[in-house]
Amino acid sequence: MSAAAIRTPVQRLLQGGTPIYLFLVVLIVVAGVAAPAFLSAGNVSNMLQQLAPLGIVVIGQTFVILLGGLDLSVASVMATAAVAATSFSGRDRDVPAIIGVTLAIGVLVGLANGLLVAKRRVSPFLATLAVMVVLQGLRFTWTHGAPSGNVPGLLRALGSQTWHGLPYALMLMLVLGAGAAVLLHRATFGRRVYLVGGGPVMARLVGIDTDRITIAVYVISAVMAAIAGLVLSGYVGIVDNFVGRGFELDSIVAAVIGGVALSGGRGTIGGALAGAAVLIAIFNAVLLFGLPVQAQIIIKGVVIVAAAAFYVKRH
Amino acid sequence: MLTLSNIHRSFPGVRALAGVTFEVRAGEIHALVGENGAGKSTLTKIAAGVHQPEAGHIAFDGAPVVWTSPGHAKARGLHVIYQEFVLFPHLSVAENIFIGHERHTRLGTIDRGRTRAEARDVLTRLGVDLDPRSLVRDLSVADQQMVEIAKALVHNVRVLFLDEPTAVISGHEVELLFERLRALRAQGVAIVYISHRLEEIFALCDRVTVLKDGQHVLTAPVAEISRERIVSAMVGRDLAELFPPRPASLRADRPVVLEARNVTLPGRVHDASLTLRAGTITGLAGMIGSGRTELAMAIFGGLKMSAGTLTIDGRTIAHPTPAALIALGVGLVSEDRKGQGLAMLLDVAANISAPALARFSRAGLLDRARERAAAEAEIAAFRIACRGAATSVAVMSGGNQQKVLLARWARICRRVLILDEPTRGVDVGAKVEIYRIMRALAAEGVAVLMISSELPEIVGLSDHVVVMREGHVAGTLEGAAITEEAVIALATSHAPGGVERAA
Amino acid sequence: MTTGRLPTGLIAVTSLLLLLLALGAALSHSFIQPGNLLNVLEQATDLAIVGLGQTVVVLTGGIDLSVGSLISLLAVLTSGLIDSDASMVLPVVAGVIVLGALLGAINGLTVVWLRVHPLIVTLGSGAVLQGITLLYAKGPVGGVPDGFDFLAYGRVLGLPVAGVAVLLVFVIAALLLRLTPFGRYVYAVGDDPVAASLMGLPRRRVLVVAYAVSGACSALAAIYLVARFGSGQPYTGANYTLASITPVVVGGTVLAGGRGGVMGTLLGAYLVAVLNNLLNFLDVSSQMQLVVQGLIIILAVSVVIDKRRVVA
Repeated sequence: MSAAAIRTPVQRLLQGGTPIYLFLVVLIVVAGVAAPAFLSAGNVSNMLQQLAPLGIVVIGQTFVILLGGLDLSVASVMATAAVAATSFSGRDRDVPAIIGVTLAIGVLVGLANGLLVAKRRVSPFLATLAVMVVLQGLRFTWTHGAPSGNVPGLLRALGSQTWHGLPYALMLMLVLGAGAAVLLHRATFGRRVYLVGGGPVMARLVGIDTDRITIAVYVISAVMAAIAGLVLSGYVGIVDNFVGRGFELDSIVAAVIGGVALSGGRGTIGGALAGAAVLIAIFNAVLLFGLPVQAQIIIKGVVIVAAAAFYVKRH
Repeated sequence: MLTLSNIHRSFPGVRALAGVTFEVRAGEIHALVGENGAGKSTLTKIAAGVHQPEAGHIAFDGAPVVWTSPGHAKARGLHVIYQEFVLFPHLSVAENIFIGHERHTRLGTIDRGRTRAEARDVLTRLGVDLDPRSLVRDLSVADQQMVEIAKALVHNVRVLFLDEPTAVISGHEVELLFERLRALRAQGVAIVYISHRLEEIFALCDRVTVLKDGQHVLTAPVAEISRERIVSAMVGRDLAELFPPRPASLRADRPVVLEARNVTLPGRVHDASLTLRAGTITGLAGMIGSGRTELAMAIFGGLKMSAGTLTIDGRTIAHPTPAALIALGVGLVSEDRKGQGLAMLLDVAANISAPALARFSRAGLLDRARERAAAEAEIAAFRIACRGAATSVAVMSGGNQQKVLLARWARICRRVLILDEPTRGVDVGAKVEIYRIMRALAAEGVAVLMISSELPEIVGLSDHVVVMREGHVAGTLEGAAITEEAVIALATSHAPGGVERAA
Repeated sequence: MTTGRLPTGLIAVTSLLLLLLALGAALSHSFIQPGNLLNVLEQATDLAIVGLGQTVVVLTGGIDLSVGSLISLLAVLTSGLIDSDASMVLPVVAGVIVLGALLGAINGLTVVWLRVHPLIVTLGSGAVLQGITLLYAKGPVGGVPDGFDFLAYGRVLGLPVAGVAVLLVFVIAALLLRLTPFGRYVYAVGDDPVAASLMGLPRRRVLVVAYAVSGACSALAAIYLVARFGSGQPYTGANYTLASITPVVVGGTVLAGGRGGVMGTLLGAYLVAVLNNLLNFLDVSSQMQLVVQGLIIILAVSVVIDKRRVVA
């Protein structure tokens, strides 16, 4: 009884997700031995740089999937945030305005998704797909198909500079991840997310306002995507209409690899972020091993099915 | 015809069958009886190839078989009418009746006309007036049951299992069902009839087998056994021991806690009223589909009533919601324990604290230590068998899961506790404990509303009984007037002029 | 199923389509000309045919997110293998359709064997197929002989060949779904998979065939697109994965499975084509067309909601 009852915070973090952490460590060791360049300071820093925007999106996506949903609009939100970042003068004094506009876009998109899912009972897949299309159309209209402008230096620093090799963007991801982990695993809000995700009817019968939780979760996801869009635009430096393309599926892939069940109610922030790290490490290793870049996509496809099959067998 | 020898089977947390042997011969109707959780359903599912036995053998038509799938058993002529219907809600009645046995034209396409005509034919033989083209989703539970029975009649059936077929139908329909079953028996079909209603067994069956707690107790010809013998074999002890004694004095002037007036849910509940008094257990009886669950759900705010008023402790609740009712000290334990009751992916502590998270949190953060300590206290108080508060509820037995739900509500529901089929899928030992807990809560002043399909439970435990029929409150019983016969009479009698069914 | 009465989804998409046509007729005289309407019929081809396969999969309760990559792969194979050699047209076209069905069947088998959600399976296989496509071709590849574009632009008696062929394929598919036991099992499996197993219906076969049909439809779409553009490109199909869902749900097929039908999807594809055509007439930018399309999806799926919600 006591062994199960008294768990350290570390064990809590690992709870249910041990295989993904083990897999990540094995992957790093194997890749490091096979190609020593994998663990070179420059390469590690590069990988962490790439991990940050994906990880930030994954944090939000995890909330949504825990609720049994999906958010296909994240990539569109990222691109919209990136467009917003270049729609000002490109000087640092505009950064607060950019952040304000971006977060407002995130909140609005999240509200739209959440209201459609909660109040109109639209399936999350369709709701976020439709919102994605609308947002894309609005963005194209705003930019006339060809966005231009400069990303302010401050955002560029956030997206591409490091502090002794540790990217600022990764620090931001870790801070957001820690906040999300506390919210999800320590706060009443998080418990309600798990209750709603595990059984929406049951959750209503214990008095939880499931609509409010649903809307909140989609807002979190869209806001995370907006932040990730800013980080990515700072990393890329220029902007086009498709910044973040592929992130909607990659973020779902990362969460599933990390043990977050699409059926809802199962998974952790730590596991999902480890899943994102696995994805980035695989992408990187593929190139270091001299495999064609196309192999990245093929391996990604195999890994997600294998990971999902692994979790199906396990439960 | 079909022999199951020494069958063993367990599920996480439960040993469902421990060496049960059962056989049914061609041309006999064999009754299979036992309390909830005795193992009847598991035995049926093993016979039908849904579950594989962990040990034991199945012989069909004299030769040993291993069913590879339900389809395999079906192809050999074994048909089961499950208590949970196996119907496709968005297919029509005719399509459901012939699913897997479609009527063809010479071109190999489905012959819609013939399908409809033959469906109408078999429904007429069952005395049901149903449009074969209507969608099953739109039928009443009783009509859905008749479609299930019709399915069995159109197939080339050699062994037929019926699990509680009369739980939702009554009167004339039961008579016609029995007539059809006797005709099938005369044709040499082996029939296994599962029922709680002993009078049906004496009217219909040739032999009876009793299961209890996953074990075989007895098999005997119906002609050579008494009702009392069957009951004592099922229960394993006297009924008197099962139910805690009622308090000596129970006055009608106990304060009214909850009053529901003229509750209506279109198509399901019509103008139903209910009064719950402090310290009493009110039984809510009636056939499945009579609107009991819906009435309780409407009171709790889980379903929206289209008309009616709800008063709790004298205060009128304009828009009942679960959250508002919980705040007033009302709780509800659903009949669907896994779907609507427990958070199956979470542990005992999280399940107990679910409706009271605010009590265990400060500034939005959960105090897990306090939550765990509270759960450990409840585990001890309710004698929940588990390895501590961090045990996942998914691995626990039905009885212990039910006690987790009682523990969830017991501390916060100080006014009303609504329990829907509280002993479904629970073994006898846990049943007795659940009855004691209910009586103890009543003694502390809680008004308990118990929905149950088990008449002995209604009769043995209730201080008042409200009986529903076809969405209406058919009558209420009190004190010595509470008998099984009286409840059945209210639950099944029809308005003068014949069968009348709610749409 | 639709026995006895028209499902609300079909009514909704039909009225929406008629409304758009009426609106178009009122706003622009040339819109309602037969010539323009035949163009619309032709323009709906690709979306309709991909939507057909998607509908069958969705009816079983699944989803096929690999169609885009599959179209890309089969498109580059078609033009790459034909390589402007007229004698290769027939064998390659036949081979591509068979390959499409086979690759679809592998999706179905993976869903059945691994018991992984179809969304994940087809997302994964879509990635694998896209990778293979890019290994084979990084840009437009090969070509087709003159006259191959007849498949896309051909007219017989003034009627567009592709548009009429699509109509025929849909009618056949609708009849198969409604009149054969197998078609009925497609609905049954999507309606309640557990009941389907208990009734001994061939659930696994239904799933494998459904994904194979979707693969074959992707092949047809790929061939059509090659005929239209003259060659296959590695991203030819990219937009179809999500776009194929639109006509399905707008046409009243429910993502949960077991409800809907292919005729709704055809109407859904026509609706999208008419909408785009009308917006062109009205000089609405292609960007705003996206917005309108998204709003139409939202409208279609959120107007009709199931009122039988268990707990309010």
